[in-house]
Amino acid sequence: MVYKTAIYTRSLTKIYGQTIAVNGLNLEIKSGQFYGLLGPNGAGKSTTIHMLTTMTSPTSGDAWIAEQKIADDPVAIRGTVGLVFQDSALDRTMSIEENLQFAAAMYNLSPAEADQRIDELLSVFNLQQKRKMKLLALSGGQRRAVDIARGVLHKPKVLFLDEPTIGLDLPNRRAIWRFVEQLRREEGMTVFLTTHYLEEAVACDHVDFMQLGKLQTGGVPAELIQQLAAYVLEIETPDPENITAQLTPLFGIPIQEDQQLSFKISEADVDFYQLQQTLGDSISSMQWRRPNLNDVYLWNVCNPEQGDRE
Amino acid sequence: MSWRPVKAVVGRELSKLFRQRARLLSALVRPMIWLLVIGSGVGSMLEGQQQEGYLTFLVPGILAMTLLFASLLSALTLVYDKEFGVMRMMMIAPIAHYWIVLSKLIAATLTAMVQAILLLLLLVILGLIDINVALGLLPAALLTSICCAAIGGLIAVWSKSIDNFAVIMNFFIFPVFFLSGALYPVKQLPDYLHYIVAVNPFSYGVDLLKHAVPGVSTDFSVTTDIIVLISFSTVAIFIACWRFSRESVHEPLFHRATKR
Repeated sequence: MVYKTAIYTRSLTKIYGQTIAVNGLNLEIKSGQFYGLLGPNGAGKSTTIHMLTTMTSPTSGDAWIAEQKIADDPVAIRGTVGLVFQDSALDRTMSIEENLQFAAAMYNLSPAEADQRIDELLSVFNLQQKRKMKLLALSGGQRRAVDIARGVLHKPKVLFLDEPTIGLDLPNRRAIWRFVEQLRREEGMTVFLTTHYLEEAVACDHVDFMQLGKLQTGGVPAELIQQLAAYVLEIETPDPENITAQLTPLFGIPIQEDQQLSFKISEADVDFYQLQQTLGDSISSMQWRRPNLNDVYLWNVCNPEQGDRE
Repeated sequence: MSWRPVKAVVGRELSKLFRQRARLLSALVRPMIWLLVIGSGVGSMLEGQQQEGYLTFLVPGILAMTLLFASLLSALTLVYDKEFGVMRMMMIAPIAHYWIVLSKLIAATLTAMVQAILLLLLLVILGLIDINVALGLLPAALLTSICCAAIGGLIAVWSKSIDNFAVIMNFFIFPVFFLSGALYPVKQLPDYLHYIVAVNPFSYGVDLLKHAVPGVSTDFSVTTDIIVLISFSTVAIFIACWRFSRESVHEPLFHRATKR
């Protein structure tokens, strides 16, 4: 079946007791996109994924995956999506091969089909040599890789990755992203990612932010960064009030954390050396850099009122 | 619905059984200890003819015990799998969730039967029972095993974690076993215990097994045994499936805020 929209939701809401975990979510994600849902822990990202993969049903609202309404046939939807859970879904006492064969059987793949698919995936993840090894004997990064391989065994149309790199060190995180990129390139699946390591979402085609269950519309990461500012200026000072008073007319209201001030600067041709001399001894350090997605999040989502010039 | 996922769940449980040799060995040693130690100990208090009789009387009882422990523990892997995350792999699969319960209960029944067959083989080799008696015990063992798996399924869908294991041992397995007529004829029990035995579905499994051993006194008719076992198992499995399909049961698996 040809479908243009991979994920579509209307007023999707989940309430746990007194907590509104997801509040009136409206999403439209085109087929083949690499989509990132970003936000802090507890923002409602995982709950969103669990509703979209039929693991939990919405309190109200509707959702469609590959243009099929989730509520109509949850079992069929589970065959269409792949989900890599935040916590591992593997049996540590079994080998990689046993785990993947088991998962493949759950998707009704024949042992021969499964075998071929496991070969393919293990070679992407560079784990062919470890095929017979017990999961207990693998590193955290390798186990995560096997978890992802499990999630894509049945070639899902939409792959959900819930914090896939949580708890991993940097080389392993990079490796996981390379694998995801390769899978996307080779199999053309739509990928729905959640992460709170915002810098990892730069590769996404589109990102949105989520906070306290509410979606804050984002955009293309590079454009969001570009629109935010040309530079971010960070100043550490024993007298933040004074510096704020001095610089706000120039750069707008800063974000303040204790003695640290961050300003966003839209002009590309600011003379920072001149500024440094003007501020002189009243600051203890000063640095300027290009903004990143973390800054977009901090300025647009956490402190939307900051940055305006008075 | 294809049988492949069911076969995978059953295969996983069976391969775990054979991999955990200690578990398999203890499944054989435990009933032998009961049979030889309790059988000889209690038997020594009896006189001549009766002594021999008590050992024979215990055979269906300890076979039922093996089935109870094996089936129940295997059904409780529903809780283990939840605790260790493997349940997620089954929950996200394109099968209706009650099939997870059914597959686990089929696996529990079969792993219990494997252990029962090994025990019967051992009893035949030791000359404690005749091969024909052993064969006659098999159909009764199958029904008992299904009943035990159903009890296990009910416990599993209501337990949140395996921390409850000691509770399960003390409040389910032991009472179910001791209040079943496995160790003594029900007729000789005081009245109030008699009623408890009568509402314990496992009693009817024990009784059906007793029917298969010549010379052992029984408490109910074969028809009663079979009707009770089948109706209890059907209802219990239905309730377990219904309960497991309710998603609030699984919320702790996915939603952190609802974790204990």
